[in-house]
Amino acid sequence: MKTALATLLLAAPAAAQTPLYVPATEEAGITHAYTGDEWGYMVGGGVAAFDCSGDALPDLWMAGGDGPATLWRNSSTSGGPLSFAPVTGSGADLSQATGAWPVDIDGDGITDLAVLRVGPDKLLRGLGDCRFDDASAALGFDGHDLWSTAFSATWEAGQTWPTLAIGTYIDRMEDAFPWGSCTETWLYRPSPAGGYAPPLALEPGHCALSILFTDWARRGTPDLRVSNDREYYKGGQEQLWRMDPGAAPRLYSEAEGWARLRIWGMGIASADITGDGLPDYFLTSMADNRLQVLAGDPSRPAFRDDAFARGATAHRPHTGNTTAPSTAWHAEFGDVNNDGRADLFIAKGNVARMPDFALEDPNNLLMQRPDGTFVEVSVAAGTASTRTARGGALVDLNADGLLDMVAVNRWDGAEVWRNATPSPGNWLMLMPRQDTGNRDAIGAFVEVRSANRTETRELWVGGGHGGGQLGWRHFGLGASDRAEVRVIWPDGTPGPWHTLPANGWWVLPRDGVPVAAPPPG
Amino acid sequence: MTTRRHVLATAAAAALLPRTARAGDDDRSRTVLMGWYRLVLELVRHTPTYSPPVAARAFAWLGLTAHEALVAAGAGQGGSLSARTNLPATLPAPDAGCDPTATLHAALSQAVPDHFGNTGPTGQRAMVAMADRLGTRATAGLDPDAAARAASLGRAVATTVFAASQGDGGATVENLGFPPVWQAPAWPGGWVPTSTIGLQQAPLLPAWGTNRPFVLASGADCGLPPPPAFSTDPGSAFYAEALEVHQVSQSLTDEQKIVARFWSDDPMLSPTPPGHWVTIVLDIGDRDSLPAARIAQALAILGIAVSDGFIANWHEKYRYDLLRPVTYIRAHIDPAWQPLLITPPFPEYPSGHSTQSGAAAAVLTALFGDPFPFDDATHEDDGLPVRSFASFAEAAREAAISRLYGGIHFRAAIEQGLAQGDCVGRAVIARLLA
Repeated sequence: MKTALATLLLAAPAAAQTPLYVPATEEAGITHAYTGDEWGYMVGGGVAAFDCSGDALPDLWMAGGDGPATLWRNSSTSGGPLSFAPVTGSGADLSQATGAWPVDIDGDGITDLAVLRVGPDKLLRGLGDCRFDDASAALGFDGHDLWSTAFSATWEAGQTWPTLAIGTYIDRMEDAFPWGSCTETWLYRPSPAGGYAPPLALEPGHCALSILFTDWARRGTPDLRVSNDREYYKGGQEQLWRMDPGAAPRLYSEAEGWARLRIWGMGIASADITGDGLPDYFLTSMADNRLQVLAGDPSRPAFRDDAFARGATAHRPHTGNTTAPSTAWHAEFGDVNNDGRADLFIAKGNVARMPDFALEDPNNLLMQRPDGTFVEVSVAAGTASTRTARGGALVDLNADGLLDMVAVNRWDGAEVWRNATPSPGNWLMLMPRQDTGNRDAIGAFVEVRSANRTETRELWVGGGHGGGQLGWRHFGLGASDRAEVRVIWPDGTPGPWHTLPANGWWVLPRDGVPVAAPPPG
Repeated sequence: MTTRRHVLATAAAAALLPRTARAGDDDRSRTVLMGWYRLVLELVRHTPTYSPPVAARAFAWLGLTAHEALVAAGAGQGGSLSARTNLPATLPAPDAGCDPTATLHAALSQAVPDHFGNTGPTGQRAMVAMADRLGTRATAGLDPDAAARAASLGRAVATTVFAASQGDGGATVENLGFPPVWQAPAWPGGWVPTSTIGLQQAPLLPAWGTNRPFVLASGADCGLPPPPAFSTDPGSAFYAEALEVHQVSQSLTDEQKIVARFWSDDPMLSPTPPGHWVTIVLDIGDRDSLPAARIAQALAILGIAVSDGFIANWHEKYRYDLLRPVTYIRAHIDPAWQPLLITPPFPEYPSGHSTQSGAAAAVLTALFGDPFPFDDATHEDDGLPVRSFASFAEAAREAAISRLYGGIHFRAAIEQGLAQGDCVGRAVIARLLA
């Protein structure tokens, strides 16, 4: 059956519209690099995209390694050139940072920031106007003095505050003999008394580089998926922790269907690629990236790898003369040409000077074709940078309904590309909202029906490599001038369907009708 | 629980401690030898270049360097091996006045980066740290002139051996050993890719069988008869072999599963099959407090045996170019069949692990005897139990049959692989231990 699928998918690739990006780093005014010594900051280097200023445009936070992180305020105009300015004294300019994820922890409607570091992690409370204060101590959050590399958040049933998970890497004190010294993943659950209870160690830790709370089975409770770096673990593998409210997490077993997979796990991207309403997962690695889709029914966490069948292995540089394989870090699905199909951006770059792997390793932009296969288009799209990338984002920075692209690079300048695709498809920007607690409806599923297809999107915080985003949810619609939209809220309650005209921003209140929002900015 | 990792970390820390009393020279040499080899086992595990044939080659050259360094300093076991191999080099003249430990350390601190330099930033950092820490220990108590003299000799040995290694055909491995272009077989029994990993759509190291061996005249030595003729006829011998693999997989006992995983020795997830045998030797050296010279000699001869074993094995793999059980069984017996182990990305016949284990067992038996009980804790840190064997031959037989349990080899590849390994081992013994 699998062979038949592969044959079918590879036999008839269909044409798809190639996106067009223009270099916009200089235009945006962004100058930033992820720095630090070769070993101590060999992983991390993420970017977080979220609105810190209150104008609904995504601002950008970039990890700096041994230098300070920088927060860039977005002042772009709708459909215009990109324009950013560094925010001085933001309180988010921490050094030793590997990454950050935006999340509204206290439910006050102002996005907070979880900053991961080579050193104690910090929870920064958003104060508005791109100002933050360190709320770690006030929240009872013990950030440990570890090498932290992965983050995710979920609202467990009945909780108004999120449960946080932080994946950590090598015991950095074991620098002469680090193999086998992987440290734990830490689970922070809200305390009934407020703030966070002492964290729970999820052991064994296998050097996590990306983690994600995701409801892979649509059972109503997200589990914790952990992608681990096999370079350093002993006896390790990819992990899936079953989460049940109030209970200690436990690992799914082989008997339950979880197959042992050992890769250089570095990043997780998720989208429903197969169209079955269930999340699929792209796992970045070195030469063996995976696209995991559920192999059977959702009663068992048994996944198969569809990367080869769908042309999404991205295992070797697609430019230059090298035959050496690639090193993949951040990955993110997004519809870059608004044709209604999720495309895939992969940030690539050598760890440092590993001769087994390509030193000139261009980023990927894999465009999904109507038949579900992917084709590499980054050269034609203008985004095939060979800088040593780590983190990245696909996010609409100038409120034109097109996903722009950001890459944070190791020892080199970050890059921004503005999406200037001519005659793209239609689109919607959606923002599901709840009144309290989990305001951004993390854990919800958004369904968008247009033409003859339905796109299902899980809302999560986590994954990627070193960063993620929070804000408007972008949906391409192709030629459809309207779409039916509904939200299945985090507690499983399905909202009503609403028909929305294309090419607009819509807030989707849980207990109300969609509200049109003005273009951000 | 005291794991191997804890022991190693403690050993690394111990190398930093000031010496309150001068230990015996042999203890110092053993510390240096073991320290470098424990690191090298990790480098092999964590550096993608080191597929089993490549790892075997590197172990051979490193073992030869260690052994010849001790010989050059007048402290070797059994004299120089180089002149008895195909090595196109003349080693530096011995200088028995050199400190053996300092000579050995100088040789290894140069040879390890030479032969394992493809490793990433962590490995590079660890090599520097190991050189510093063991160097302090190796030269403690020596006057500067003596230390410099020993270092010069050790480096000269390493330089000579490394130069000789560059012409053996295995010095440069591109794209982790996978050719960018590969022609699919023109006959139905030929190997085809078995994984969905993009890189592995071509077979590993197709020219490895043409490399220059250390002892064999060429990779064609120790050739094998063909496997059972390929056939899809249910009455054929080939079908029967495939059916056996399938049936065994359906009734695996827990013990058989452990055996399969114990000898799986996957690249990038273990020290590889040759590294497994190196680990056995190191553990025996520790257990029996063997002199450094004896351990070095064993590592050199073992390295040569497994390296030549892989060359001979690869020669036959690409001569016969046979498909893997997973390909045949899914096509003709059970479309949904899943082997227990990851199927390696290269032709099936003969089994590489069987050949190199047979060669290893032959030379280790010659060196240590039979019976020779030992415990094998290679995968203790990965959560697999320690296994005990009465002899090297017993371990080799278990390594070989594990490939049947794992569903990655037919029986003929296993049995003929062991026979080929024994042939290689006897050739090594005849040249190096006669």
